[in-house]
Amino acid sequence: MTRLAGTLVIAALLAALPLATQSDFVLTILVFAFLQGMVAVSFNLVFGYAGQLSMFHAAAFGIAAYATHLFMQHLGVGYWGGVLLGATLVAAISVVVGAICFRFRLREFYFAVVTLAFSEMARLTVLNWNSMTNGSLGINLQEKATLWIPGMGVTRIESTVGWYYLALAALGLTLLACWRLVHSWMGRAFAAIRLNDELGDTLGINVFRYKLVAFVAGSVMAAFAGSLYAYFLGSLEPGYLSIDQSLGIIAMVLLGGRSAVAAPVVGALVLTALPHLINFSAEVRSMVYGAILIFTILVMPQGIYGTFAQLLRRRHA
Amino acid sequence: MTQLIAGQLLNGAIVGTLYGIVALGVTLTFGITGIVNFALGVFMMFGAYAAWYFSDTLGLPYPLAVLAAVAVTAAAGLVADQALFRFTRNNLVNGLLVSLGLIAVLEACALLVFTSTPKELHRVLPGIVMVAGLVLPKMKLVVFALLLVVIFATYAALTRTWTGRAAYAYAQNPEAAALMGVATSRLQTGVVVYSCGLAGLGGALYASLYSLEPTLGSLFILKAIEAAILAGIGSVTGALLGGVILGVTEGVGSIYLPLAFRDAYGLVFLVVILLFKPAGLFAGRR
Repeated sequence: MTRLAGTLVIAALLAALPLATQSDFVLTILVFAFLQGMVAVSFNLVFGYAGQLSMFHAAAFGIAAYATHLFMQHLGVGYWGGVLLGATLVAAISVVVGAICFRFRLREFYFAVVTLAFSEMARLTVLNWNSMTNGSLGINLQEKATLWIPGMGVTRIESTVGWYYLALAALGLTLLACWRLVHSWMGRAFAAIRLNDELGDTLGINVFRYKLVAFVAGSVMAAFAGSLYAYFLGSLEPGYLSIDQSLGIIAMVLLGGRSAVAAPVVGALVLTALPHLINFSAEVRSMVYGAILIFTILVMPQGIYGTFAQLLRRRHA
Repeated sequence: MTQLIAGQLLNGAIVGTLYGIVALGVTLTFGITGIVNFALGVFMMFGAYAAWYFSDTLGLPYPLAVLAAVAVTAAAGLVADQALFRFTRNNLVNGLLVSLGLIAVLEACALLVFTSTPKELHRVLPGIVMVAGLVLPKMKLVVFALLLVVIFATYAALTRTWTGRAAYAYAQNPEAAALMGVATSRLQTGVVVYSCGLAGLGGALYASLYSLEPTLGSLFILKAIEAAILAGIGSVTGALLGGVILGVTEGVGSIYLPLAFRDAYGLVFLVVILLFKPAGLFAGRR
């Protein structure tokens, strides 16, 4: 029960934060951190829980961002229609990619390479489909995200505070979904697959099905994050699908920790806030990301959350 | 048209040997340390810039600059191995992530030091050779020949010398090899450093043909890993063949299909191979 109480207190504090600070700077960083946190949490579902090093996550994020815009522009649907269609598209693509990889029993490195190959193909398509995506120049989004708010009808979300609550709610829903998934019988199937998928197979777990479920669920959550992220930022570019983006996601998860559902959010907060607090150039930022990645793996393999949890446990014992 | 195809075939083969030399490093490192070193691409970039620096800025003659570049890259490889890769032996995921981190760090360093403006090495060996109506720059032929020599020398060393056979033995059964007196940790370090040296050589020779950008390593390592997997990881001659097949596929593919997707042809090929012949095209051969 203490855990539930702790979660509620943190949620209440975060929800009350805009009352305490009106600073656009702080809220903007937090919105980015929440949305990146969504991506990191969903990546951890695939990597930390089901044990599959997917390099397709950035692609899912980027495809959804582009798809939302294109569906809105060409089908005339509203923002949330676009978001849902984008997520559906990503779900369909990841079912195909995942089915190919898992049907042919690609594991570990081979799985990473093949998903990376698919991800690169998606990036090259976005980069070269000039009539739709405007190539390497990207797109400045003219449309705004809208939301139906009780008592106010359908309104545009333009203020940072509005985005803050939207991102917070989205992150909360992602965490809840992942938590429910991981602590169900399905989560136990994921763990069995991560630890030894051949053994899981002999125990009667349908390895193919649960790997696919984890992969598609993770990708769809990343898709929602992508659609939100693009409309908060107000622009689209092929860099959304790049290997650097994948690297950033992995760095957040490793830095935060893999052992708890919410742990990657810590990594997302640190890595998103860091470049804003200290003024880095793009090169230095990528250097810091790389250095953090190396440092965490060699020195602190459990991440920030895992290390703290261990310290606390040791003190109690 | 046949001329165009023949030209692309030859060009593809030459670029393919460059993929092959890095792929050889990938294969050797994987066989002996159990990790896939993505950072080899960055070492190649390092070698290329080192050759450019020694030759253009310090004014060394090009062959000397290449040797110096290889030495510097191998030394950098030794440092990376002792500081980082030593701790990730036989841990594929950690090794992969550490090498990804190293790429980010070194690429950013290169961007800061050399900026993103492409660097051009002065013409090392101008002039062309005409073969059956095909125009071939002399330097390309020299690079091609040199890389072939190095790859076959590596093959010979692996099969004929004690150290080489020790490496094979280690790849097959580490414990048995250790019991037979193979100094395993020295062998692992040696192979990592040698692979970095190979990548450095590839980069130094690349510098004489194309202009240099800090991101060249990332592109090349993907191709090299594709090449290594294509032929089946662990095969020395396979790395060369994989590289050539990849180079030719891209060269010929870009005649018939849109050029923009040049980098994707190899990927499609790779996915198909991994799905239907996961041990590689030449499975079972050395």
